[in-house]
Amino acid sequence: MSTASPSAVQAPRALRHRRSARRLTAGQLADLRGAVSAAQAIGDDRGYQRWAGIHGLPLPISCTHHNELFLPWHRAYLYLFEKALQERVPGVTLPWWDWTDNHAEGIPAAYSRQRVEGRKNPLFDSPIQPAGRERPSQTRTQRAPGAPGRLPTPAEVEAILGNRDFLTFQTQLESIHDGVHVWVGGTMESIATAAYDPIFWAHHCMIDRLWYLWQLRHPGAGIPARLLDRALAPFPLTVRQTIDASSLGYDYAATTTAAAGPGHG
Amino acid sequence: MVERFSTSAIELPPPERPFDRADLIFYGLDHSGPSFEAQVFFDPRGVAREADAEHRAYVGSFFVFGHGGCFGDVGHCDIPSERDPFDLRPPHQLEPATRIVTVTDALRALLKRDVEAAKVTVIARTAARTPADVLAFETVRLATYA
Repeated sequence: MSTASPSAVQAPRALRHRRSARRLTAGQLADLRGAVSAAQAIGDDRGYQRWAGIHGLPLPISCTHHNELFLPWHRAYLYLFEKALQERVPGVTLPWWDWTDNHAEGIPAAYSRQRVEGRKNPLFDSPIQPAGRERPSQTRTQRAPGAPGRLPTPAEVEAILGNRDFLTFQTQLESIHDGVHVWVGGTMESIATAAYDPIFWAHHCMIDRLWYLWQLRHPGAGIPARLLDRALAPFPLTVRQTIDASSLGYDYAATTTAAAGPGHG
Repeated sequence: MVERFSTSAIELPPPERPFDRADLIFYGLDHSGPSFEAQVFFDPRGVAREADAEHRAYVGSFFVFGHGGCFGDVGHCDIPSERDPFDLRPPHQLEPATRIVTVTDALRALLKRDVEAAKVTVIARTAARTPADVLAFETVRLATYA
Protein backbone atom coordinates (compact mmCIF):
# COMPACT_ATOMS: atom_id res chain seq x y z
CA MET A 1 0.00 0.00 0.00
CA SER A 2 1.28 3.46 -0.88
CA THR A 3 2.20 5.66 2.02
CA ALA A 4 1.72 8.78 -0.03
CA SER A 5 -1.96 9.20 -0.76
CA PRO A 6 -5.47 8.81 0.55
CA SER A 7 -6.99 5.56 -0.67
CA ALA A 8 -10.53 6.30 -1.77
CA VAL A 9 -10.90 2.73 -3.04
CA GLN A 10 -10.54 1.39 0.47
CA ALA A 11 -13.27 3.50 1.99
CA PRO A 12 -14.45 1.99 5.25
CA ARG A 13 -18.17 1.49 5.67
CA ALA A 14 -18.55 4.30 8.18
CA LEU A 15 -16.42 6.90 6.39
CA ARG A 16 -17.50 10.40 7.40
CA HIS A 17 -17.24 13.57 5.37
CA ARG A 18 -15.85 16.82 6.61
CA ARG A 19 -17.80 19.63 5.03
CA SER A 20 -17.37 23.30 4.28
CA ALA A 21 -18.39 25.47 7.22
CA ARG A 22 -20.42 27.54 4.77
CA ARG A 23 -22.38 24.57 3.46
CA LEU A 24 -23.52 22.87 6.64
CA THR A 25 -27.20 22.04 6.81
CA ALA A 26 -29.13 23.39 9.77
CA GLY A 27 -28.99 19.95 11.34
CA GLN A 28 -25.26 19.53 10.83
CA LEU A 29 -24.59 22.95 12.33
CA ALA A 30 -26.86 22.20 15.28
CA ASP A 31 -24.96 18.95 15.88
CA LEU A 32 -21.62 20.79 15.79
CA ARG A 33 -22.82 23.44 18.20
CA GLY A 34 -24.29 20.78 20.45
CA ALA A 35 -21.06 18.80 20.49
CA VAL A 36 -18.88 21.84 21.27
CA SER A 37 -21.28 23.00 23.99
CA ALA A 38 -21.30 19.56 25.55
CA ALA A 39 -17.49 19.37 25.44
CA GLN A 40 -17.27 22.84 27.02
CA ALA A 41 -19.45 21.62 29.87
CA ILE A 42 -17.02 18.85 30.79
CA GLY A 43 -14.19 19.80 33.12
CA ASP A 44 -12.15 16.62 32.89
CA ASP A 45 -9.84 15.18 30.24
CA ARG A 46 -12.72 14.63 27.81
CA GLY A 47 -13.56 18.31 27.70
CA TYR A 48 -12.87 21.20 25.34
CA GLN A 49 -10.44 22.95 27.66
CA ARG A 50 -8.20 19.90 27.86
CA TRP A 51 -8.07 19.56 24.08
CA ALA A 52 -7.47 23.28 23.49
CA GLY A 53 -4.73 23.26 26.11
CA ILE A 54 -2.72 20.54 24.37
CA HIS A 55 -1.80 22.97 21.60
CA GLY A 56 -0.47 25.71 23.85
CA LEU A 57 -0.91 26.68 27.45
CA PRO A 58 -0.85 25.22 30.03
CA LEU A 59 2.72 23.99 29.55
CA PRO A 60 3.98 21.87 27.94
CA ILE A 61 3.19 23.39 24.56
CA SER A 62 2.81 20.24 22.51
CA CYS A 63 1.98 21.49 19.02
CA THR A 64 4.56 21.19 16.29
CA HIS A 65 5.11 24.29 14.21
CA HIS A 66 7.96 25.27 11.95
CA ASN A 67 9.25 21.72 11.72
CA GLU A 68 8.78 18.60 9.62
CA LEU A 69 5.85 17.20 11.62
CA PHE A 70 3.51 20.18 11.22
CA LEU A 71 0.89 18.50 9.02
CA PRO A 72 0.90 14.99 10.56
CA TRP A 73 0.76 16.34 14.13
CA HIS A 74 -2.21 18.58 13.41
CA ARG A 75 -4.00 15.79 11.52
CA ALA A 76 -3.67 13.61 14.62
CA TYR A 77 -4.84 16.50 16.80
CA LEU A 78 -7.96 17.15 14.71
CA TYR A 79 -8.74 13.44 14.55
CA LEU A 80 -8.63 12.99 18.31
CA PHE A 81 -10.56 16.19 19.02
CA GLU A 82 -13.18 15.11 16.51
CA LYS A 83 -13.39 11.75 18.28
CA ALA A 84 -13.97 13.60 21.56
CA LEU A 85 -16.80 15.57 19.92
CA GLN A 86 -18.28 12.39 18.49
CA GLU A 87 -18.50 11.00 22.00
CA ARG A 88 -20.82 13.92 22.75
CA VAL A 89 -22.78 13.87 19.45
CA PRO A 90 -22.31 10.71 17.37
CA GLY A 91 -21.48 11.31 13.73
CA VAL A 92 -20.51 14.96 14.07
CA THR A 93 -17.51 16.04 12.01
CA LEU A 94 -15.28 19.10 11.99
CA PRO A 95 -16.03 21.53 9.14
CA TRP A 96 -13.40 23.44 7.17
CA TRP A 97 -13.19 27.18 6.63
CA ASP A 98 -12.25 27.92 3.04
CA TRP A 99 -10.57 31.27 3.57
CA THR A 100 -9.86 31.59 -0.15
CA ASP A 101 -13.60 31.96 -0.72
CA ASN A 102 -15.99 34.77 0.15
CA HIS A 103 -13.42 37.27 1.41
CA ALA A 104 -16.18 39.82 1.90
CA GLU A 105 -17.66 37.66 4.65
CA GLY A 106 -14.31 36.77 6.25
CA ILE A 107 -15.02 34.46 9.16
CA PRO A 108 -17.99 32.23 8.25
CA ALA A 109 -21.33 33.22 9.73
CA ALA A 110 -21.50 29.95 11.67
CA TYR A 111 -18.54 31.21 13.72
CA SER A 112 -19.05 34.97 13.65
CA ARG A 113 -22.61 35.23 14.98
CA GLN A 114 -22.49 36.01 18.67
CA ARG A 115 -25.89 34.55 19.42
CA VAL A 116 -28.07 31.99 17.67
CA GLU A 117 -31.70 31.33 18.45
CA GLY A 118 -31.50 33.45 21.56
CA ARG A 119 -28.49 31.66 23.02
CA LYS A 120 -24.74 32.17 22.99
CA ASN A 121 -23.11 30.68 19.93
CA PRO A 122 -20.47 28.21 21.19
CA LEU A 123 -18.54 28.68 17.92
CA PHE A 124 -18.18 32.45 18.46
CA ASP A 125 -15.86 32.28 21.42
CA SER A 126 -14.76 30.12 24.33
CA PRO A 127 -13.66 30.46 27.92
CA ILE A 128 -9.94 30.06 28.54
CA GLN A 129 -8.99 28.07 31.62
CA PRO A 130 -6.85 30.02 34.12
CA ALA A 131 -3.72 27.99 33.35
CA GLY A 132 -4.24 28.59 29.62
CA ARG A 133 -4.09 32.38 29.76
CA GLU A 134 -1.18 34.54 28.66
CA ARG A 135 -2.35 37.13 31.18
CA PRO A 136 -4.92 36.93 33.97
CA SER A 137 -7.47 39.16 32.20
CA GLN A 138 -7.65 36.82 29.20
CA THR A 139 -10.73 34.92 30.39
CA ARG A 140 -12.34 34.39 26.96
CA THR A 141 -11.15 34.17 23.38
CA GLN A 142 -11.44 37.23 21.17
CA ARG A 143 -10.68 38.09 17.55
CA ALA A 144 -9.49 41.15 15.64
CA PRO A 145 -9.87 40.19 11.96
CA GLY A 146 -7.80 41.95 9.34
CA ALA A 147 -8.94 43.45 6.04
CA PRO A 148 -10.88 40.83 4.02
CA GLY A 149 -8.65 41.34 0.99
CA ARG A 150 -5.61 40.07 2.90
CA LEU A 151 -6.85 36.50 3.22
CA PRO A 152 -5.13 33.93 0.96
CA THR A 153 -6.32 33.73 -2.64
CA PRO A 154 -7.11 30.63 -4.73
CA ALA A 155 -4.07 31.45 -6.90
CA GLU A 156 -1.74 31.41 -3.89
CA VAL A 157 -3.12 28.04 -2.77
CA GLU A 158 -2.93 26.66 -6.30
CA ALA A 159 0.76 27.60 -6.53
CA ILE A 160 1.47 25.77 -3.29
CA LEU A 161 -0.48 22.67 -4.33
CA GLY A 162 1.77 22.51 -7.39
CA ASN A 163 4.83 21.64 -5.32
CA ARG A 164 5.82 18.01 -5.78
CA ASP A 165 8.13 17.82 -2.78
CA PHE A 166 6.30 17.25 0.52
CA LEU A 167 8.60 19.32 2.71
CA THR A 168 8.51 22.29 0.33
CA PHE A 169 4.73 22.00 0.09
CA GLN A 170 4.44 21.79 3.87
CA THR A 171 6.72 24.81 4.47
CA GLN A 172 4.79 26.98 2.04
CA LEU A 173 1.41 25.82 3.33
CA GLU A 174 2.51 26.57 6.88
CA SER A 175 3.33 30.16 5.91
CA ILE A 176 -0.21 30.60 4.56
CA HIS A 177 -1.50 28.94 7.73
CA ASP A 178 0.51 31.37 9.85
CA GLY A 179 -0.93 34.28 7.87
CA VAL A 180 -4.50 33.24 8.62
CA HIS A 181 -3.69 33.01 12.33
CA VAL A 182 -2.36 36.57 12.13
CA TRP A 183 -5.38 37.67 10.08
CA VAL A 184 -7.90 36.38 12.65
CA GLY A 185 -5.82 38.09 15.33
CA GLY A 186 -6.52 38.18 19.05
CA THR A 187 -6.37 34.79 20.71
CA MET A 188 -5.64 33.08 17.39
CA GLU A 189 -2.49 35.11 16.90
CA SER A 190 -0.49 33.29 19.57
CA ILE A 191 0.54 29.64 19.61
CA ALA A 192 -0.08 29.64 23.35
CA THR A 193 -3.81 30.36 23.10
CA ALA A 194 -4.95 29.80 19.49
CA ALA A 195 -6.71 26.47 19.97
CA TYR A 196 -9.15 27.88 22.51
CA ASP A 197 -10.84 29.84 19.71
CA PRO A 198 -13.43 27.57 18.01
CA ILE A 199 -12.42 28.94 14.58
CA PHE A 200 -9.00 27.31 15.13
CA TRP A 201 -10.45 23.89 14.35
CA ALA A 202 -12.11 25.04 11.12
CA HIS A 203 -8.90 26.78 10.04
CA HIS A 204 -6.82 23.67 10.65
CA CYS A 205 -9.41 21.51 8.93
CA MET A 206 -8.81 23.65 5.82
CA ILE A 207 -5.06 23.09 6.18
CA ASP A 208 -5.65 19.35 6.56
CA ARG A 209 -7.95 19.40 3.53
CA LEU A 210 -5.26 21.07 1.43
CA TRP A 211 -2.82 18.32 2.43
CA TYR A 212 -5.49 15.80 1.42
CA LEU A 213 -5.93 17.54 -1.96
CA TRP A 214 -2.16 17.65 -2.43
CA GLN A 215 -2.01 13.90 -1.78
CA LEU A 216 -4.65 13.28 -4.43
CA ARG A 217 -2.80 15.48 -6.90
CA HIS A 218 0.64 13.93 -6.31
CA PRO A 219 0.03 10.22 -5.69
CA GLY A 220 3.69 9.36 -6.16
CA ALA A 221 4.96 11.92 -3.69
CA GLY A 222 4.98 11.50 0.04
CA ILE A 223 6.53 12.08 3.39
CA PRO A 224 10.24 11.18 3.66
CA ALA A 225 10.62 7.61 4.93
CA ARG A 226 12.80 8.73 7.84
CA LEU A 227 9.76 10.50 9.34
CA LEU A 228 7.18 7.74 9.01
CA ASP A 229 7.72 6.07 12.37
CA ARG A 230 8.09 9.27 14.36
CA ALA A 231 5.66 9.54 17.27
CA LEU A 232 3.27 12.48 17.40
CA ALA A 233 3.39 13.17 21.12
CA PRO A 234 1.26 13.30 23.17
CA PHE A 235 -0.98 11.33 20.80
CA PRO A 236 -0.84 7.55 20.40
CA LEU A 237 -0.15 7.84 16.68
CA THR A 238 2.85 7.85 14.38
CA VAL A 239 3.30 9.88 11.22
CA ARG A 240 2.60 6.76 9.18
CA GLN A 241 -0.83 6.38 10.78
CA THR A 242 -1.87 9.88 9.69
CA ILE A 243 -1.04 9.60 6.01
CA ASP A 244 -4.27 8.02 4.82
CA ALA A 245 -7.22 10.10 6.04
CA SER A 246 -9.66 7.35 5.09
CA SER A 247 -7.95 5.03 7.57
CA LEU A 248 -8.86 7.62 10.20
CA GLY A 249 -12.48 7.43 9.08
CA TYR A 250 -12.99 10.66 7.14
CA ASP A 251 -12.47 12.36 3.83
CA TYR A 252 -13.08 15.71 2.15
CA ALA A 253 -15.23 14.53 -0.73
CA ALA A 254 -16.90 17.55 -2.33
CA THR A 255 -20.00 15.50 -2.96
CA THR A 256 -20.79 11.92 -2.19
CA THR A 257 -23.64 9.61 -3.11
CA ALA A 258 -24.03 5.85 -2.86
CA ALA A 259 -26.26 3.03 -4.02
CA ALA A 260 -26.63 -0.45 -2.63
CA GLY A 261 -25.06 -3.33 -4.56
CA PRO A 262 -26.57 -6.80 -5.09
CA GLY A 263 -25.03 -8.11 -1.89
CA HIS A 264 -23.53 -11.57 -1.57
CA GLY A 265 -26.63 -13.58 -0.73
CA MET B 1 15.94 41.16 16.83
CA VAL B 2 15.32 43.88 14.27
CA GLU B 3 12.34 45.24 12.35
CA ARG B 4 14.20 45.63 9.05
CA PHE B 5 17.25 43.95 7.57
CA SER B 6 19.01 44.25 4.23
CA THR B 7 21.50 41.56 3.24
CA SER B 8 24.65 42.18 1.31
CA ALA B 9 24.12 41.87 -2.43
CA ILE B 10 23.41 38.30 -3.56
CA GLU B 11 24.86 37.29 -6.89
CA LEU B 12 22.16 36.51 -9.45
CA PRO B 13 22.46 33.52 -11.80
CA PRO B 14 23.88 34.22 -15.26
CA PRO B 15 21.16 35.33 -17.70
CA GLU B 16 21.93 32.47 -20.07
CA ARG B 17 20.96 29.84 -17.45
CA PRO B 18 17.23 29.18 -17.89
CA PHE B 19 15.00 28.42 -14.90
CA ASP B 20 11.37 27.54 -14.29
CA ARG B 21 11.24 28.77 -10.74
CA ALA B 22 13.26 30.88 -8.34
CA ASP B 23 12.93 30.85 -4.55
CA LEU B 24 14.32 32.97 -1.75
CA ILE B 25 14.71 30.54 1.14
CA PHE B 26 15.05 31.94 4.64
CA TYR B 27 16.78 29.66 7.13
CA GLY B 28 17.08 29.93 10.89
CA LEU B 29 14.02 32.09 11.49
CA ASP B 30 13.18 32.92 15.08
CA HIS B 31 9.54 32.36 16.09
CA SER B 32 9.74 32.82 19.84
CA GLY B 33 8.01 36.21 19.98
CA PRO B 34 4.81 37.73 18.57
CA SER B 35 3.39 36.61 15.23
CA PHE B 36 4.36 38.75 12.28
CA GLU B 37 4.35 39.22 8.54
CA ALA B 38 7.73 39.65 6.87
CA GLN B 39 7.55 41.67 3.67
CA VAL B 40 10.37 40.87 1.28
CA PHE B 41 12.01 43.18 -1.24
CA PHE B 42 14.61 42.27 -3.87
CA ASP B 43 16.54 45.18 -5.30
CA PRO B 44 20.15 46.16 -6.05
CA ARG B 45 20.07 49.07 -3.58
CA GLY B 46 17.86 47.76 -0.78
CA VAL B 47 14.76 49.65 0.38
CA ALA B 48 13.86 52.02 3.20
CA ARG B 49 11.83 51.01 6.26
CA GLU B 50 8.75 52.85 4.95
CA ALA B 51 8.49 50.52 1.93
CA ASP B 52 5.33 48.45 1.65
CA ALA B 53 3.66 46.03 -0.74
CA GLU B 54 3.20 48.82 -3.29
CA HIS B 55 6.97 49.28 -3.64
CA ARG B 56 8.37 48.19 -7.01
CA ALA B 57 10.94 45.94 -5.33
CA TYR B 58 8.32 44.07 -3.28
CA VAL B 59 8.36 40.36 -4.16
CA GLY B 60 6.07 38.81 -1.56
CA SER B 61 5.82 38.01 2.11
CA PHE B 62 5.85 35.17 4.56
CA PHE B 63 4.19 34.79 7.93
CA VAL B 64 5.48 33.52 11.25
CA PHE B 65 3.00 32.22 13.84
CA GLY B 66 4.84 33.12 17.01
CA HIS B 67 5.00 31.61 20.46
CA GLY B 68 4.34 35.00 22.03
CA GLY B 69 7.17 34.83 24.55
CA CYS B 70 8.25 32.37 27.20
CA PHE B 71 5.78 31.07 29.76
CA GLY B 72 8.22 28.94 31.72
CA ASP B 73 10.98 29.54 34.23
CA VAL B 74 14.50 30.67 33.44
CA GLY B 75 16.00 28.52 30.69
CA HIS B 76 12.68 27.04 29.54
CA CYS B 77 12.97 28.51 26.06
CA ASP B 78 16.71 28.07 25.58
CA ILE B 79 17.36 25.87 22.57
CA PRO B 80 19.96 23.21 23.43
CA SER B 81 23.19 23.93 21.59
CA GLU B 82 23.96 20.24 21.13
CA ARG B 83 21.73 17.23 20.66
CA ASP B 84 22.61 13.69 21.71
CA PRO B 85 22.27 11.48 18.60
CA PHE B 86 20.43 8.93 20.77
CA ASP B 87 17.91 11.50 21.98
CA LEU B 88 14.57 10.37 20.54
CA ARG B 89 12.56 13.17 22.09
CA PRO B 90 10.94 15.70 19.74
CA PRO B 91 13.06 18.72 18.81
CA HIS B 92 12.88 21.81 21.01
CA GLN B 93 9.77 23.90 20.31
CA LEU B 94 11.85 26.87 19.27
CA GLU B 95 14.14 25.18 16.76
CA PRO B 96 14.38 27.77 13.98
CA ALA B 97 11.94 27.80 11.07
CA THR B 98 12.37 27.92 7.30
CA ARG B 99 10.27 30.01 4.93
CA ILE B 100 10.19 30.17 1.13
CA VAL B 101 9.17 33.09 -1.07
CA THR B 102 8.92 32.31 -4.77
CA VAL B 103 10.42 35.13 -6.82
CA THR B 104 10.50 33.73 -10.35
CA ASP B 105 9.04 36.78 -12.12
CA ALA B 106 11.01 39.24 -10.00
CA LEU B 107 14.30 37.51 -10.77
CA ARG B 108 13.52 37.46 -14.48
CA ALA B 109 12.78 41.19 -14.33
CA LEU B 110 16.09 41.91 -12.60
CA LEU B 111 18.02 39.86 -15.14
CA LYS B 112 16.25 41.67 -17.96
CA ARG B 113 17.60 44.92 -16.51
CA ASP B 114 21.13 43.41 -16.58
CA VAL B 115 21.28 43.40 -12.79
CA GLU B 116 24.04 41.08 -11.56
CA ALA B 117 23.46 41.21 -7.79
CA ALA B 118 20.61 42.32 -5.53
CA LYS B 119 19.96 42.84 -1.83
CA VAL B 120 17.18 41.10 0.03
CA THR B 121 15.41 43.45 2.43
CA VAL B 122 12.95 42.10 4.98
CA ILE B 123 10.60 44.31 6.99
CA ALA B 124 8.66 42.67 9.81
CA ARG B 125 5.22 43.89 10.79
CA THR B 126 2.94 42.56 13.48
CA ALA B 127 -0.83 42.34 13.19
CA ALA B 128 -1.12 46.02 14.06
CA ARG B 129 0.64 46.65 10.69
CA THR B 130 3.48 48.47 12.40
CA PRO B 131 7.16 47.56 12.04
CA ALA B 132 8.38 45.62 15.08
CA ASP B 133 11.67 44.22 16.41
CA VAL B 134 10.74 40.57 15.89
CA LEU B 135 12.91 39.59 12.93
CA ALA B 136 15.91 37.28 13.18
CA PHE B 137 17.18 34.74 10.67
CA GLU B 138 20.50 33.09 9.92
CA THR B 139 20.72 33.19 6.14
CA VAL B 140 18.74 33.63 2.97
CA ARG B 141 19.50 31.69 -0.19
CA LEU B 142 18.45 32.32 -3.77
CA ALA B 143 17.79 29.04 -5.57
CA THR B 144 16.64 28.53 -9.15
CA TYR B 145 15.18 25.35 -10.59
CA ALA B 146 15.15 24.21 -14.21
